[in-house]
Amino acid sequence: MTTSITEGGIQDAAAYCSDLVRKRDYDSFLISHFWPRGLREHFIALRAFYVELASVQEAVSNITIGKMRMQFWRDALKGIADGSPPRHPIALALGRVCQAANLQTYHLKRIIDARDAELDMPTHMTLDSLTSHAESTSSTFLYLQLSLLSLSASTSLSHAASHLGIAQGITTLLRALPYHASQGRMVIPAEITARHGVSQEEIFRKGGQARGFEDAVFEFAVVANDNLQTCREILKAENKNPGSARPVLLNAVPTRLYLERLEAANFNAFDPSLQVRGWKLPWRIWSSYYKGQF
Amino acid sequence: MTIIRALATAGPSARVVATRLAAPRTSALLARRLISTSPCRHTVDPNVKRMEHSDHLPDPIAPRSPGVKTAMYSAADEPGKDFDPYKDGPSAIDKAVHLFFFTEIIRGMWIVMEQFFRPPYTIMYPFEKGPLSPRFRGEHALRRYPSGEERCIACKLCEAICPAQAITIESEARLDGSRRTTRYDIDMTKCIYCGFCQEACPVDAIVETQNQEFSTETREELMYNKEKLLSNGDAAEAEIAANLQGTHIPIASIV
Repeated sequence: MTTSITEGGIQDAAAYCSDLVRKRDYDSFLISHFWPRGLREHFIALRAFYVELASVQEAVSNITIGKMRMQFWRDALKGIADGSPPRHPIALALGRVCQAANLQTYHLKRIIDARDAELDMPTHMTLDSLTSHAESTSSTFLYLQLSLLSLSASTSLSHAASHLGIAQGITTLLRALPYHASQGRMVIPAEITARHGVSQEEIFRKGGQARGFEDAVFEFAVVANDNLQTCREILKAENKNPGSARPVLLNAVPTRLYLERLEAANFNAFDPSLQVRGWKLPWRIWSSYYKGQF
Repeated sequence: MTIIRALATAGPSARVVATRLAAPRTSALLARRLISTSPCRHTVDPNVKRMEHSDHLPDPIAPRSPGVKTAMYSAADEPGKDFDPYKDGPSAIDKAVHLFFFTEIIRGMWIVMEQFFRPPYTIMYPFEKGPLSPRFRGEHALRRYPSGEERCIACKLCEAICPAQAITIESEARLDGSRRTTRYDIDMTKCIYCGFCQEACPVDAIVETQNQEFSTETREELMYNKEKLLSNGDAAEAEIAANLQGTHIPIASIV
C-alpha cells in the first residue's frame, strides 16, 4: 500500500529509489542534485530506505504488521552484511551503498529501532522524548550522509548535524500537523500543549481556531528554530566555509523556509498556505549551495 | 382561483365596513364621557383651591374618572358586534387548507418536472458500475515490477499475518541466489478480505484489487494459485497503480 512507483525494479534499483524519493519526498529529491555525481545514487538509496521506514506507520492498520515489516528490514540489514540482500529494490540499492561506502550499520539499525518504537508510541508526552526520537531518525540520517562524504570524523559537523536533525524532525511534525490531527494524533508534546491549556479534542474539531493552539505551535517552532540557530553557530565557530559538507547542510534549507512561512502565517499550522510546496524552495536550495550559507 | 378572489374581496373590504360602522358609535361615546366628566374636572382645578386655602398644601389631583357608565359596559356595547364579515364565506381553516395544500401540489408537481429533465439515477448494473473507494478490497492479485519480474520475494509475511490462514506459500532458492515462490495459493473461500496481506507485504507484491465479481460455478475454482494471481495482477496493474497513487500521502508530511 505504500508505493506507487512506476519505474525501475530489481534490475534498476537506482531508478526505483529515485522515483520513490521524487514522488514521496520532493525536498530531498531537490537536494540530491547537489550531491557529487558518484554519491548521488547512494544518497537517494539511503533516503529511499528512510522514506520506506517512515511510511510503514501509515501503511499498516495494526502494530503487529508494522513490527513484522520492521523485522523484515532488520533481516534485510543482516542479509546485506552477509552479502545476500533480499530481492527488494531498496535493499539492493542499500547493499550497493554499504559495499561502496564505509557506513556504520548501527546507524541504520538505530533508525529501524526508532521507527519500531514509534509504532508503539506515536505521540510524545515530553519534549525530551520527542527530541531523542528526532535524534535517532533525522539526525542519524544526517550522520549517515556525513559518513557517505567521509566526514563523520569531524565532531563539530556531527554536533551540528544532531541539532539540525532535531530542527528537521520538529519541522516535519509541524508540517504534518493537519494530517496527523485528521488521524486523531497530536504531534505537539503534551508538555507544551498542557502549558497553554490546549484541548486536543478542540484542535481535532476546530483546527486552527482552538484556544491557545497558536501559542503552543509557537513554542514548538521556537525549539526547532533554536536548534537551527545552534547548528549555525557551531558551523560559524568552526569554519567559515562548510566545504564538502554542503550537501548535508542543504537539509537545513527546507526547514528554515518552512519556519519562515509558519511565522508569516502567524503560527497557525493549519493555514492553507503552508500545505502547498513553497515555490521559493528550488531557488533557495540553489543559492544556499553556492553561497555556502544555510 | 375562487379562493384567491374570495380572500381578496372578503378580507380587506370586511375590515373597512367594520371600522366604518364602529366610528360614529365611538365618537358619541367620547362626547358623553366629556360631558359627564367636565364638572368633576372643575372641582379639582388646583388654581382655584390654592387661592382659597394658601396655608396648606393643595390636594393631589384626583384621578380622572371616565364616568359612572363605563364600569357598567357590557358585551352588548362592543362596537360592530352585530356585524360578522365572515358569516357567509368559508372558515379560516378551510381557506388555510385550500391555500397550503394547493401550493403543496404545485411544489410536488414541480419536483416531478425537475426529475423529468434530469438523467436517471438507475445504473444498468452489469454494464455500468457504481463508484468504489480506491481502498476497496476485492479479489487478490500478485504484481510485477515494470520490468516484468515478479515482486514476490517469498518472505512469507502475508502467510504469517493472515488471520484466516488462507495463504499457503512454498519457496525455493534459485540459481542466482534469489528466493522465489514455487507455490502461492490463496483459498478464496477462507479469505476474510481484511487486507492484512497487502499491508504486511514489504514489496507490495500481493494486493487486493477492486474486482468484486469473481463468482465461480465450482468451489475448486476459488482455490487460487500463483498463475491465476499473477494474471489478475497483469490485468489490473493500471488500476492498482492508479489507486495507490490516489491514496498516497507525501512522505515529507508524515515523517
